[in-house]
Amino acid sequence: MSAEVLVLCTSAGLFAIGAAGALLHRHPVAMLMAIEIMLNAANLLIVLAARVRGGADAEAAALVVLVVAAAEAVIGLALALALFRNKTRPDVDQASELRG
Amino acid sequence: MEGLFGPLAVGCAVALLSALGVVLARRPIYAAIFLLAHSLSLAGLFALLAAAMIAVGQVIIYSGAIVVLFLFVVTLLPSGGRELAPTSGRVMAASVAAGGLLIALFVGFGGPLPPTTPAATAAVALGVPAVGHALFGSLLVSFELTAPLLLVAIIGAVVIWRRHEPESRTAPRPVRATEPRRLVIHR
Repeated sequence: MSAEVLVLCTSAGLFAIGAAGALLHRHPVAMLMAIEIMLNAANLLIVLAARVRGGADAEAAALVVLVVAAAEAVIGLALALALFRNKTRPDVDQASELRG
Repeated sequence: MEGLFGPLAVGCAVALLSALGVVLARRPIYAAIFLLAHSLSLAGLFALLAAAMIAVGQVIIYSGAIVVLFLFVVTLLPSGGRELAPTSGRVMAASVAAGGLLIALFVGFGGPLPPTTPAATAAVALGVPAVGHALFGSLLVSFELTAPLLLVAIIGAVVIWRRHEPESRTAPRPVRATEPRRLVIHR
């Protein structure tokens, strides 16, 4: 088992763990953390590809992914706080209505 | 890259275990701590993979900004962020989805690895200047688009927060003259 295959398997495992966490939790912040794990797994794969193929473009793309993850965390956490500021139980299943 | 197998294995093990901790932690505050360990281990993996700039960015953006943001939000949540225990159907769905996704990913990754290019064996061309050239060269559009993305994210967060306020704080309620004066304590 080479080092590339090890990192590849780690990336796949991290993505699966993140998907399981996003489905398992009802807490919006816990779901967001699981989604962050999935983004990290994708970023790890991008960096591995940059190492294997020797391209600097992929590393720059990984930086852009980091910025996108930051923006997603800001919006997601603001939604979580706004949805659950008046409720005692943080449960995303209670938020079933979308109103403008 | 073969000499790096030991450190890479350690980093991968730490990343996987801390990710499991994030998913399985019952309280979000512990999950945020596990997320900190996870992002630091990933920064170590990036540094081992000769991506020093991504490693530094991971530490600054993820460990420094995002995890601290999560910690703030967890402290602001009602009931300390404790959540109900997941139902058995939810656990079943999550494990089935994770297993299926893992199988699909391994089938997708199952082909032979592409041959390593000569540039990768040298692994010296991926420094900060090369990444900077890529950012301001072939990736210029997406790099510049991150600026309005961050701006829109900031404005969106403020708008989402203000829209759900129960009363507007900018327009105080007019006090009628016939009403007796009372002491009002504003929160």
